[in-house]
Amino acid sequence: MPGFPILTATILCPLIALLVTLLIPGRHEKAIKIANTLCALASVILAITIWAQYDRSVGGFQMMEDMAWLPSFDIRYTVGVDGAGVVLGLLTAIVFFTGVLSMWTLKTRVKEYFAFKAALVFGVFGVFFALDIFAFFFFYEIAVLPMYPLIAIWGSTRKEYSAMKLTLFLMAGSVLLFPGLIALYVQAGGETWNILELAQSPQYTRTFQIFCYPFIYIGFGVLAGMFPFHGWSPTGHVAAPTAVSMLHAGVLMKLGAFGILRIGMTCLPLGAAYWAPTFATLATAGIIYGAFVAMRQTDFKYVIGFSSVSHMGIVLLGLNIYAGGGDVAQTGLDGAIFQMFAHGIMTALFFSAVGFIYDQTHDRDIRHFGGLVSQVPIAGSMFILAAMCGMGVPGFASFWAELLVFIAAVQTYPVLGILAIVGLIFTAAYTLRVLGKAMFGPRNKNWEHLVDVGVWALLPRAILVGVLLLFGFFPNLILDMIRSTVWGP
Amino acid sequence: MGNLELFLPEAMVLLGALVAFVASVVGLSGRTTWIISLVMAVLATVVTFVYLGAQGEPFFPGIYRVDAFSQILKVGVVVGLLLTLMMVGNTSSIRERSRPDIPILLFVASFGMMMLVSATEMLTLYVALELSAYGLYILAALHRLQRAGSEAAAKYILYGAASSGVTLYGISLIFGATGTTYLGAIAQTPSSPLLIAGILLALSGILFKLAVFPFHAWAPDTYQGAPHEAVTFIATASKVAAVGVLARLMFLAVPEHDTLVTTLLVLCVASMVIGNLSAIAQDDLKRLLAYSTVAHAGYILIGLVAFTSLGAASAIYYVLVYVPIVFCAFLVVCALGADGSNPTKASLAGLYQRSPLLAITLLVGMFGLAGIPPTAGFTGKWFIFTAALDSGMFWLVLVGAINATVSLYYYLRVIKEAYLTPPGELGAIRLTPMMAIAAWLAMAMVLVTGFYPRPVWELAESAARALVGG
Repeated sequence: MPGFPILTATILCPLIALLVTLLIPGRHEKAIKIANTLCALASVILAITIWAQYDRSVGGFQMMEDMAWLPSFDIRYTVGVDGAGVVLGLLTAIVFFTGVLSMWTLKTRVKEYFAFKAALVFGVFGVFFALDIFAFFFFYEIAVLPMYPLIAIWGSTRKEYSAMKLTLFLMAGSVLLFPGLIALYVQAGGETWNILELAQSPQYTRTFQIFCYPFIYIGFGVLAGMFPFHGWSPTGHVAAPTAVSMLHAGVLMKLGAFGILRIGMTCLPLGAAYWAPTFATLATAGIIYGAFVAMRQTDFKYVIGFSSVSHMGIVLLGLNIYAGGGDVAQTGLDGAIFQMFAHGIMTALFFSAVGFIYDQTHDRDIRHFGGLVSQVPIAGSMFILAAMCGMGVPGFASFWAELLVFIAAVQTYPVLGILAIVGLIFTAAYTLRVLGKAMFGPRNKNWEHLVDVGVWALLPRAILVGVLLLFGFFPNLILDMIRSTVWGP
Repeated sequence: MGNLELFLPEAMVLLGALVAFVASVVGLSGRTTWIISLVMAVLATVVTFVYLGAQGEPFFPGIYRVDAFSQILKVGVVVGLLLTLMMVGNTSSIRERSRPDIPILLFVASFGMMMLVSATEMLTLYVALELSAYGLYILAALHRLQRAGSEAAAKYILYGAASSGVTLYGISLIFGATGTTYLGAIAQTPSSPLLIAGILLALSGILFKLAVFPFHAWAPDTYQGAPHEAVTFIATASKVAAVGVLARLMFLAVPEHDTLVTTLLVLCVASMVIGNLSAIAQDDLKRLLAYSTVAHAGYILIGLVAFTSLGAASAIYYVLVYVPIVFCAFLVVCALGADGSNPTKASLAGLYQRSPLLAITLLVGMFGLAGIPPTAGFTGKWFIFTAALDSGMFWLVLVGAINATVSLYYYLRVIKEAYLTPPGELGAIRLTPMMAIAAWLAMAMVLVTGFYPRPVWELAESAARALVGG
């Protein structure tokens, strides 16, 4: 379909879901859920179509749409995708769809829940496709704010505290982004907000880049769970309801890393190179710190929350290797984007498995469980699969992602690379500890009555497992996309 | 004499006042008076929109200018008037026997404000300032619970009169330094310490209206003690007029002068910080909004002290979208305080169940004030920060952004009460149809402008061009 604005259509899917949800009276819960499922399904289909339509042999940004938004202020609605955009767009659609399915049993305030969630996804799609700084930030803030009600209303465990902490942390990131992003526009002469045009600007002197880059890196980095600004992330994950955790750890944290790549590294390559060793060190610290802290946690969700800090550290490390330049730059970038995708799916699976158990037990303390695999075989297996993926076992998508990043890291920053690999050992340690304690071992008699995953509840989880395995066995599917496209041949 | 036809928008508002006056004198009921005034307000709004592109001088040369700048701000004023009037239908926070007089006072005050944004001569400006103020002084005194009302009004009048006196004194100094009261002629005069002192003093009367630190002390008490509808009007229309006249004075009469810019910068930062920090501690919603007004006056000053066309445009845009945004918040205050009491955070409990429409109106208002997309508050903030950065004030943007985050904290706490706390004993809230329409109207303005800022922004730009071009 030439000329069909497929990216805009994808962005509009959740917006339509939002409007339809608002129009349906709150008592028709079933109708709301069906409408959201359909819109999410539509977005999955569109995201797959984007993947298929993207011409890898040509590369670069494709499916561009450009419209005047506010001409006298040079603001345009410009969307387009490169390999990273295609991959992350698909990730968003999958997590959106499986998230809707896994909240099928929601009883309280259904209408509002789906409305806020659709608003969030609307923002996320927009960020991944936007090529205009104003549009990017506009969508970015739309994506961040719904987390507050989503956690505060439907969450658990100190939910109001966690929701406020999360929102204020992320908004504190925006404090740095406002001057950082606007400075890009002003410095370039105040003629365009287009990221690709700005990247060509001769006005970005080295001094300016070195000054401006940390604002953008840290501003977005907060959302990417960047150490030492990760404090919001574990508490936020723990408090959030299942599908929100899925979306949040699965997709939202990627927005931060994506912002760094799309705006920071594209527009300010010299600044990025200058700061790369510093931020790579922080990223490695995050990998090790996250894994270390996860070892001592007794709450399932805290384990996953801190492991997210650790895994996002791998993404940031890969990005900084890319920014630093050199022979392995492309490898670092491949690994980082692959890891964004793999971690997104994996965490979604993790949270959905834990959420399934928590919904029945209202307990998440690892010490209170034992032998879950024999009690709820399917749910337990899901958890084990996600855990293996988190450890980077071959056959799963994240194996390749982590391998690429570590190969690149050892060559660029040998010390950091080795430290990061040591971090991976800790990851294995905490994961196996959880598995040994809760999944295997003696059965806990309290939970003999648990019901296992039914057919319908299996569907979203099966999709996630399938995706993980698909890209684990055929990593070239995704690597081709990332590699041939981010910068073109 | 110039082209009198250009005065039609103001004349329509004045006519509205007269019609409302006649209606109340012949003894029509409060409700009939209200409906008649509403019709007049709609007519006035339409006429003001029609005269959006008008240009010229209706009276003697040099005292009263009709241009893109004045006309756009007049639209802001009449929209504020119309929205407030729509809500006045159930004025239960206002004394029974005063109710038929409300529309008169609103119209007269709006008339003064519309003249204020057109005045280009110091004495005309002063008269318009007083005209707009007196209507508000009386409105502030009409609270049903008499003592609270008179306290609010007394504070407002005393502060207001004092700042008027200071303004008048400033005008006399300006006259002494330049020998003229025409703003255009003042701009041509070489700067002198006397002139700077005069301008600073003259500005203080305007800064008082805008509740800029250190002229903000009246705002919390007056907001708290005055009837909700009166406060709504003070918080919407009067801010538009104040920003208008402030911009006019700064750009016409203030030559590029470091002392003034530095002073205003200090006031701007102090307003943001003090307004936001004080708002955190408030429990009374009206007091909270009063302090948030102080902070927003600070944001608007960021745009003005940039002293560029872009800065002026961003300030004008901000104050225009601020009207429906803050109206959303006050609509909830009016609906919750229908018995005349002041709503606190506790009275918001379970609002999402008691009235979903009010809850979402509150959400839009609070997100708008906090500057979250897709509300127009976000674009407003973005424009203002861009203008400031364009003038090289990087640190000011940083301070502004930090303040925006601080403010988000207390706005979110308001939303939290409305969406999280169970309703408990509190019953459902019924909105009058007109209130519901006003809520939808204000929300539509906020969201449509948020998604598609082009029309309003282009108006603000042409206003800024008219202003800077002299």
